[in-house]
Amino acid sequence: MREIRIEPRRKFLVPVEAEGISPDVLAPLTLEEIGRIEVWEGNRRSVLSDLFALSGDDVPGEAADARILLSGDFSRVKRIGEKMTSGMIEAGGDVGMHAGNGMAGGEIEIAGRAGDWLGREMRGGKINVSGDAGDYVGAGYRGESCGMRGGEIRIEGSAGDYLGEHLCGGKITVLGDAGDFPGIANRGGVIVIGGNAHLPGAEMASGAITVFGRARVLPSYQYQETVEIDGQSLKKFLGDLVDGGKGELYVASMEA
Amino acid sequence: MIAEDVLCPFCGCLCDDIKVEVEEGKIVGVKRACRLGSSKILGHERTTAPMIRVDGELLETTYEEAYDQAAQILKEAKRPLLYGWCSTVCETAKLGILLAEEVGGVVDSTATVCHGPSIIGIEEKGMAGATLGQIKNRADLIVFWGANPAEAHPRHTVRYSSNARGMFTPDGRGGRKVIVVDVRETRTAKNADKFILIKPGTDYEVLSALRMIVQGKGEIVPETVAGVAKSDLEEAAAMMLAAKFGVVLIGLGLTHSRGRYKNVDNALSLVADLNGFTKFVVMAMRGHYNVAGFGQVCAWSTGFPMAVDLSRGAPYFNPGETAACDLLAKREADAMMVVAADPASNFPRATVGGMVEIPVIQIDPFPNPTTLLADVVIPTAVCGIEAEGTAYRMDGLSLRMKKVVDSPYPTDEEAVREILDRVRRLSDDN
Amino acid sequence: MIIEGGIVYDPRNGILGEEMEISIEDGRVVEESRDGDKIDARGMLVMPGGLDAHAHIAGAKVNTGRIMRPEDGRRGTEARTKLLRPQTGYTVPNCYAIGYRYARLGYTTAFEAATPILEARNTHEELEEIPIVDKGALTLFGNNWEVLECVRDGDLGKLAAFVAWGLRASRGYGVKVVNPGGGEAWGFGGNVKGIDDPVPNFDVTPRQIIRGLMRANEALGLPHSVHLHTNNLGKPGNYETTLETLRAVEDIAASRDRQVLHVTHMQFSAYGGTGWRDFESKAPEIADYFNRHQQFTMDMGQLIFGSATTMTADAPLEYGNARLLKAKWSNHDIELEESSGVVPLVYGRKMPINAIQWAIGLELALLTEDPWQMIMTTDHPNGGPFVNYPEVVALLMSRPKREEELKTLHELASKRSSLPSIEREMGWNDIAIVTRAGPAKILGLEEKGHLGMGADGDVSIYDIDPEKVDPSKDHEKVKAALSRAKYTIKGGEVVVRNGELVAVPQGRTYWVEASVPEDEAAKVRADLVDKFAKYYSIQISNYMVQDAYVTSPRIVRAGVI
Repeated sequence: MREIRIEPRRKFLVPVEAEGISPDVLAPLTLEEIGRIEVWEGNRRSVLSDLFALSGDDVPGEAADARILLSGDFSRVKRIGEKMTSGMIEAGGDVGMHAGNGMAGGEIEIAGRAGDWLGREMRGGKINVSGDAGDYVGAGYRGESCGMRGGEIRIEGSAGDYLGEHLCGGKITVLGDAGDFPGIANRGGVIVIGGNAHLPGAEMASGAITVFGRARVLPSYQYQETVEIDGQSLKKFLGDLVDGGKGELYVASMEA
Repeated sequence: MIAEDVLCPFCGCLCDDIKVEVEEGKIVGVKRACRLGSSKILGHERTTAPMIRVDGELLETTYEEAYDQAAQILKEAKRPLLYGWCSTVCETAKLGILLAEEVGGVVDSTATVCHGPSIIGIEEKGMAGATLGQIKNRADLIVFWGANPAEAHPRHTVRYSSNARGMFTPDGRGGRKVIVVDVRETRTAKNADKFILIKPGTDYEVLSALRMIVQGKGEIVPETVAGVAKSDLEEAAAMMLAAKFGVVLIGLGLTHSRGRYKNVDNALSLVADLNGFTKFVVMAMRGHYNVAGFGQVCAWSTGFPMAVDLSRGAPYFNPGETAACDLLAKREADAMMVVAADPASNFPRATVGGMVEIPVIQIDPFPNPTTLLADVVIPTAVCGIEAEGTAYRMDGLSLRMKKVVDSPYPTDEEAVREILDRVRRLSDDN
Repeated sequence: MIIEGGIVYDPRNGILGEEMEISIEDGRVVEESRDGDKIDARGMLVMPGGLDAHAHIAGAKVNTGRIMRPEDGRRGTEARTKLLRPQTGYTVPNCYAIGYRYARLGYTTAFEAATPILEARNTHEELEEIPIVDKGALTLFGNNWEVLECVRDGDLGKLAAFVAWGLRASRGYGVKVVNPGGGEAWGFGGNVKGIDDPVPNFDVTPRQIIRGLMRANEALGLPHSVHLHTNNLGKPGNYETTLETLRAVEDIAASRDRQVLHVTHMQFSAYGGTGWRDFESKAPEIADYFNRHQQFTMDMGQLIFGSATTMTADAPLEYGNARLLKAKWSNHDIELEESSGVVPLVYGRKMPINAIQWAIGLELALLTEDPWQMIMTTDHPNGGPFVNYPEVVALLMSRPKREEELKTLHELASKRSSLPSIEREMGWNDIAIVTRAGPAKILGLEEKGHLGMGADGDVSIYDIDPEKVDPSKDHEKVKAALSRAKYTIKGGEVVVRNGELVAVPQGRTYWVEASVPEDEAAKVRADLVDKFAKYYSIQISNYMVQDAYVTSPRIVRAGVI
């Protein structure tokens, strides 16, 4: 597998947009060509090699055989892995907003924390975050009726608000807590939250949300029965009835 | 001399029936305006000369120097933020957006700290609105949700809503019902036929419960919802369904409590639901007199109503990422221009911190806490009193503001144009 | 400037594909040009600049569309250049994109189809920001209280005086009537169901409103006729309402050499069926009626598959759409005057209703024998965005293209319409009429839509040789050529070269100043003073659009004195 290593040359104060950091874009290029990929630091257009040190294998190949290793602080680098269809990105630390935007395949592995809009409008592939993730994991763009449609996102830490907003498919797992409105306007996706959540499943039309911790349940949800999941006893609700929804919500304990 | 039918440059009511008495070029009297409007029209302490901060101290300078300095700051910045635009006319906003294009900046309005969530809610659901006169002539039920016009929009009730008289509402308040939903018993609530006290941050749940009852699914709703008795909600829902024309007026209590734009989203859905049974509209009680106008100009110029990032030449809109608060809270902006607004007073403390470390340009007639953080201060004429131009009322109706007296100061529009011209010259030099 | 060697189609002047020179000087077509600028148009198609007589391009509901649809805004995004402002949007483009995209299609004039008087300032603010094209706005009258009262009282003189006043107040060009009476009924959530259904609280019927406004329009001798969006628009079975409406006004005569009534986006008013299940085309019935009644004109309102943003003063229709489709819904009621709605939707090829609607627009255009009775529109962005006009032209010119398209659609498009059996293929002369000469004549714009002496120097030149290319077979070439004009010339200035914008002048805004007798005007003033004192939420002195909002006016005079 070809390895391409990218490391910031300095700390960024103004965020950098680098949608070119994707196996699909970089794999067919030599390191020198990769260095000429356009990136933006605020309103300044520059090239990858101006802002990042590049190393690794120099032989162009297929995206599927490429592994991009990000070392250093990428917390202000946005749009990593945008629209990638195959291959691998591994970030040793934090990544900025919009990692895996519109991703269709391949894998992103983030050792640190992910910024907001992780996997926005994702269609396929896998993202794993060892730390926390920000708001709008797997959500859609403003005004769209669909966010993530396929693929899998796994967050080992906690997630922010609006997790999986407008989810139309795929699966999101959060081992820790989720914030406000996880699974809002869910249209067929699956969300599993290991910890607590606030008002899950608002406007849910279909799909399933499971909260293994405590959650505040909307008054527009109807209790069905108690079920066993992974050896734990959970209350099953149907909703969101305010929008004629047929989603399933499982909650371990209810917040008064 | 008495100037008639002057527009009031204070709140989103944009009252246009003000009489202003002028003697020897000075305003000596104001009639019909509320106390908030009167105090603005009569005027208060002004910034009298342009200033530049040298060694931590603001020193008077010439307009030329101040414009040059402002242009230099914006031109050098990688992520300049051009913010404000709520208390100036649309003509200034047009130039401000063009300036943001020229410098590759982010342009945003005070909506970010007021009804920005309402706009994001509208992006989810659309909004069933009306002009204020429609409410005045037809509404027999008024719902104030998290809104307190008695304090914030003093003439709203008399001119447009609960107490106004019109074609089908000849009895004014006597022929209407008023519901207030709020987290405390405000002055507006004291005047209501039905007051529902809710716990802070529970608006969304209460709205969902109301929607369930309106839709005839009330039996599923628990007996209390976030502390509110179901019977109270049933009563409110019955009043809504019995109305011939109802309106929900949304205030900052809804947009800035937990749930934010989702609260608005749910309120818009409630109104859409109600239209299946009767006539209902909804409106955001916009604060500053032309914050709505900036949204209009920004939408037709860039496609988006606020929080537009032009750093790559094409407009990119994503509140949460590109709003003024986001840039400052994340310490992304490296320069800021504030036009006709006071973020130092209105932004959260953590956000104001983002202004301390970067050069700030202020264009405003009045000194305010933002002046204390500014590095370049450019005093201007007061729009609607000393300069004419367009403003949009809270219902989206545009009106032309008048010039009543002369001013020794340039208009906001002129000040922004001077900076724009200089930025362009700097670009040509490079 | 001299345009040399092109094949010119100028139907108004009887020029049907002749090689000839066009000379332009000081923005007008002249006998001979003194300057030396030459444009080599050999082997190319030359026509007058395109004219869109019905599009929603400016004003409150257009901006509402933008604000509620950021997901549309991000489509079609282009960065600014040294010459151009940034562009965004597909169905609801920003103002700059509107001007640039029209120019790239070879269009040089576009009219906003519906502006309420009270919000006309907003409309003009946006029109001012639309570059290049000449513009105008039609003013809404069909639900205005003053109109309803004049009609109820049978006071035609006062009605005409109010129309003149309303055009001036809104800086409007013509009389637009949308779902007459229905907008007022919507004030309390109702609607009218037909032309004889009384308007609540006003004791008038849509029939009376339409007749009154048409008679006022003709009394004033306005350049354009009444421009009507029919009652029951968008509903199955509505072709009967449409025909009933037309029959109700057959006795009214035009005061000028033009139609007496323009029925807009007819596609939405030509439906059969008792509901959506047996929904079918009644385009042949409508076209047949038009073939026998030359005093009426229409535009297509052609449907384009994909994303659209519906926006109309027909507010009850929009509520129905939103509920049916579970779509976003915006509504805006305007005190004493109108209502409106905005709903985004997607037209699908496999959706039976949409597929039939698509066929209906084409049937109407092809079955109406006289192209001067027909304007090509998509009712932008209701049927789809105007950037798709080349697609519509290709469909009108090529039966094979229509057959290819039909194969990709739900089968009901073929079963519930007569489109498969229609052989007609429009020629370039027909196209020049339905996109240029016809709309100019229908709007009453003397200097537009033709290339005779004194005409505006608005010309489009396309890189397609009408003598060599067979549009029936080579419809792809037609669509490609029309999508990017080789040259667009606006007022004698080249604004597009090789499909790219090279200049961005400011266009003019047409509006109509109609004179009326002082005693009638005084009666209107008295009424309005009363209405403002009691009902409007603003002062009368702040109502009228100020001159500051129309910086390049082109005032057309009309009236009774």
